[in-house]
Amino acid sequence: MKDHKLSIKIPLLLCILAGLSACTTTEIDQFRQADTQINSDESIVILGRRHSNSYETELDFVECVGNVVASGNDGINVIPESVFLDEMFPFFEPRTAPMRTDHLEQLMQQDVAAEKLEDFGVEYIVWVDGLTQRSGESGSISCAVGPGGGGCFGFGTWTDDSNFEAEIWDMDTLSSAGAISADANGQSYLPAIILPIPLLARVESNVCSGMGQQLKSFLNGSV
Amino acid sequence: MIGSMHNLKQMFSGFRSATLLVLCCALFSCASTSMITIEGSYPAPLVNQLPLTLGVIYDDSLSAHSFTEFDEYSGEEQYIINSGASQMTLFNTILPAVFSEVIYLDSADEIASYPELDMIFEPAIDDFQIGLPQKTRLDVYEIWVKYNMRLFSPDGSSIADWVMTAYGKSPQSTFGSVDAGVNDAAVEAFRDLAASFSLGFASIPEVNNWLQMNNVL
Repeated sequence: MKDHKLSIKIPLLLCILAGLSACTTTEIDQFRQADTQINSDESIVILGRRHSNSYETELDFVECVGNVVASGNDGINVIPESVFLDEMFPFFEPRTAPMRTDHLEQLMQQDVAAEKLEDFGVEYIVWVDGLTQRSGESGSISCAVGPGGGGCFGFGTWTDDSNFEAEIWDMDTLSSAGAISADANGQSYLPAIILPIPLLARVESNVCSGMGQQLKSFLNGSV
Repeated sequence: MIGSMHNLKQMFSGFRSATLLVLCCALFSCASTSMITIEGSYPAPLVNQLPLTLGVIYDDSLSAHSFTEFDEYSGEEQYIINSGASQMTLFNTILPAVFSEVIYLDSADEIASYPELDMIFEPAIDDFQIGLPQKTRLDVYEIWVKYNMRLFSPDGSSIADWVMTAYGKSPQSTFGSVDAGVNDAAVEAFRDLAASFSLGFASIPEVNNWLQMNNVL
């Protein structure tokens, strides 16, 4: 009977903890410059900008956006970033990648690059640029371990702020088709009473999901 | 009861020994130098090949390159970064993509054995620097390498002698190791060099002059 009660209490506790998550505010903006449409046999590639000295767009974030765009019935073929960068080497490295569409025109004048892009069937190149910054860290948590056991006590909190922008280049017209920006922020809490209980604001994953969905709609021409 | 007490004593004795062992290991690891061997693969650059037979001599400063980072407080060796093997992998990938034929030479003495050689290339490392997050207070590992590229004719006369720099960085991940961070930054730096070299080789003024004079361009 005692075991049975325990088996109910543990999942209940886990459900309560899972439900307790910090709040996040996400804002998605879109700017369209041209009509877009993509067929099932065409592909896109999502690339992270990494030319800045102070930060670089995370590989994981780019992959996450790609997974959202590729998912569902209206999913779009997304070429993995690492495959594209290796196959197109050295044209899309941090120091050599086209920064503007007129640089893309210059790149397409090189036969080897143009042929390879044609082989890939790339209809749109999406450049993702941005980062998540942590600020307002406060509080403290102390943990101790002894022969009789261990535990933590204290409270910590911080704010995560994500700012990302995706610029969409049309490979048919070699011009910009538009841009999507996504901003989100949220406060995370970490109270610790024997065990630390993380109440995390899912800032970056919300931005990824929001940007991915918007990008898919944008490329399918539905928004 | 006595048996269970004995078991408990044995358990605590084992726990004490294990704790002592862990502490000793931790202290030893703090004092020891960490050896990092750079490992990476590099894609062949997508460029138009130059119809030239290139001889390559790898200077020891490149093929056996090793860099030691010292602790800024104790002055002791902190990290030894071995990148020689990876540098060789890099050049062995770039050069056959840029030149139609590449012949690897052990030394300049072998040049006479290959009359088909058009030019000899000898890359060397002049400087190697590392930026660790705990020292730079940035959230990235950084590697900066300065190369000296020397190109000469089979008769020994210089064609070009120029400097190239390579830079790579990798973000510091929450649970990532220093080894992985340094390795990723180094691989990025070597890719950066490969990109600059393969796209810019024919644009080096002295090289460009030579290529035009020999009707290669």
